[in-house]
Amino acid sequence: MADHRRTLALTAVLSALIVVSTVAAPMVSARPAHEIPVSEVSTADLAEPDADGWEEVPASDVPLSSAPSSVPNADDTSIETVDVQAARTDQRLYVRLEWQDATRDMNASATREFADAVAVQFPVNTSSRPPIAMGGPDNRVNVWYWSGSTGTQELLAGGAGSTTPFQNPTVQANTSHSGTGGNATWTVVYSRQLDASSENRTDLRTDGDLDVAFAVWNGSNGERSGQKAVSEWHYYPFSGGPQGPPYETLLWTLAGIAIVAVVGVTSFGIYRTRGAE
Amino acid sequence: MSTDQQDDQGEEDTLVNVADGVDHQVAMVMDLNKCIGCQTCTIACKNLWTEDGGSEYMYWNNVETKPGEGYPRGWEDSGGGWESGEHSDRSPGEIPDEEDYGRAWEFNHEEIMYEGSDEPLRPRDGAEWGPNWDEDQGAGEYPNSYYFYLPRICNHCTHPSCVEACPRSALYKRQEDGIVLVDQDRCRGYRYCVEGCPYKKVYYNTVSKKSEKCIFCYPRIEGEGPDGETFAPACAEECPPQLRLVGFLDDEEGPIHKLVNEYEVALPLHPEFRTQPNVYYIPPFAPGQHTEDGETVDIDRIPRQYLRNLFGDGVDEALDTIDAHRQRVRQGGDSELMELLQDKNPAKQYRLEVFDDE
Ligand code: SF4
Ligand code: SF4
Repeated sequence: MADHRRTLALTAVLSALIVVSTVAAPMVSARPAHEIPVSEVSTADLAEPDADGWEEVPASDVPLSSAPSSVPNADDTSIETVDVQAARTDQRLYVRLEWQDATRDMNASATREFADAVAVQFPVNTSSRPPIAMGGPDNRVNVWYWSGSTGTQELLAGGAGSTTPFQNPTVQANTSHSGTGGNATWTVVYSRQLDASSENRTDLRTDGDLDVAFAVWNGSNGERSGQKAVSEWHYYPFSGGPQGPPYETLLWTLAGIAIVAVVGVTSFGIYRTRGAE
Repeated sequence: MSTDQQDDQGEEDTLVNVADGVDHQVAMVMDLNKCIGCQTCTIACKNLWTEDGGSEYMYWNNVETKPGEGYPRGWEDSGGGWESGEHSDRSPGEIPDEEDYGRAWEFNHEEIMYEGSDEPLRPRDGAEWGPNWDEDQGAGEYPNSYYFYLPRICNHCTHPSCVEACPRSALYKRQEDGIVLVDQDRCRGYRYCVEGCPYKKVYYNTVSKKSEKCIFCYPRIEGEGPDGETFAPACAEECPPQLRLVGFLDDEEGPIHKLVNEYEVALPLHPEFRTQPNVYYIPPFAPGQHTEDGETVDIDRIPRQYLRNLFGDGVDEALDTIDAHRQRVRQGGDSELMELLQDKNPAKQYRLEVFDDE
């Protein structure tokens, strides 16, 4: 009988641990550090990098680190942080990115020349979070891309190496490089209609949180492709308040309840069987 | 007899290894003893494929003097290829810069043709390097100086490190004949292929911002010409001494298979890069060294070690084999090998339709 009690106690402790960890997980992924506030504004003077409207919009410092990649020199990236601002009217989403880069690399017209570039990544399907590295085959990402040599592109990707440009990009980008030396900065403002004009484009009308990630390339450091400085997934809290994506929380809660139920039923079964001996 | 010691998964009906997933492998043999360095091949190629903006500096086919820096300058030390015969880890490589390839020079045509200047025709400024800057320079001291010409195209390798280097799979090896191509729709101009090829035979087009390379004149070998006829690549067809044989490595009746796999006298360039090239060379012979008085002595003019560095250790046996067959013919005997090396029958020199019925 003492054995039974020990088994039961152990199961109880284990199930408690499981419950704690399942509940804690969404809390970690939802910590406000990954939240990027979005100002809801009625009229917009936001299209240009130096537009007055941006003075009212809070900025977040997003840390960047080298993306895990199989390309040579993948861990040699030079941009460590990007300042992100976001604002939404009832028509458009504006995203302003600012980072330090002493050189304005606008060309890829010599054999060893690469251009500066920046990208914003969203899940195509806003209800689930795709793999951070260019999404996955069943969970694609919509990427807004600008580089000094190609200009603005709108991309679709379903995993590393699958990036494909849309024929008619719906994203606009305005850029400026100002200052000199170590204080020189790039500023890029992207904007797009909230409506997804076609399939495979992120619907920005969402009321849920919107996952978003960033990448920056420094052309003069030979950065291109997977050699890039990237952020983790962040999110725009379109639902208001610093919560994790509700879908995810729901899943974790369901999983937690299911585990507790299974453990409970199993322990009860063992108890009954042993008790009947 | 196989050319690939590392893997022996060749097709069952042949002794020749072609790459996995490839039905047949195009191949070329160039006899370096016949090259006169005329650059007809280079120009034939350029006129066909690299005349447009952004490709001025490219020579998909180039002919360089050896010993010499080559094109692009110093390509042999620019990295790329594989770390080992397992073909799992690639060696890092570098992208050559404009100066290494050689810029297109501006000449004083205007002044001479239209303005009556009597200065000699010459590049305007900054002409300090270019393809073949060191042409015919070679090495060695008079009377024992030496050089030879080395025509180079993409080797359409069996283990192409350019293909492996591309994170977007924009480069691929065609299933039907193993030709290595760059898909212009997939390429985003990252240039990992340029640095990854140890022969520096992928080039970045500075206008289209995509990479390009030798296509083994595939429209010609597919019979896409005006009369629907099949032609060998232009560099081969246009060569005045007709020193190139074109066909399939796995065509066991053809001269390429015999020279490469049976007689083992045609060798890949720099086998230590481990991409397993499908362009092969008959190594060059040179007269023995001369003494001060002009006597010929039995010492190699081209140092054997230099040839080993270029063509691997197989070069000793290749030269010995050719020598032995020469002796045999001199003494009135027969040698298939000597016939193959002299054969002018076009049906044998270019065998591109052998697998057409498959
Ligand atoms: S020679 Fe270079 S470009 Fe050509 S297939 Fe081999 S590795 Fe690729
Ligand atoms: S055309 Fe023939 S002989 Fe002339 S350089 Fe080319 S390979 Fe040599």
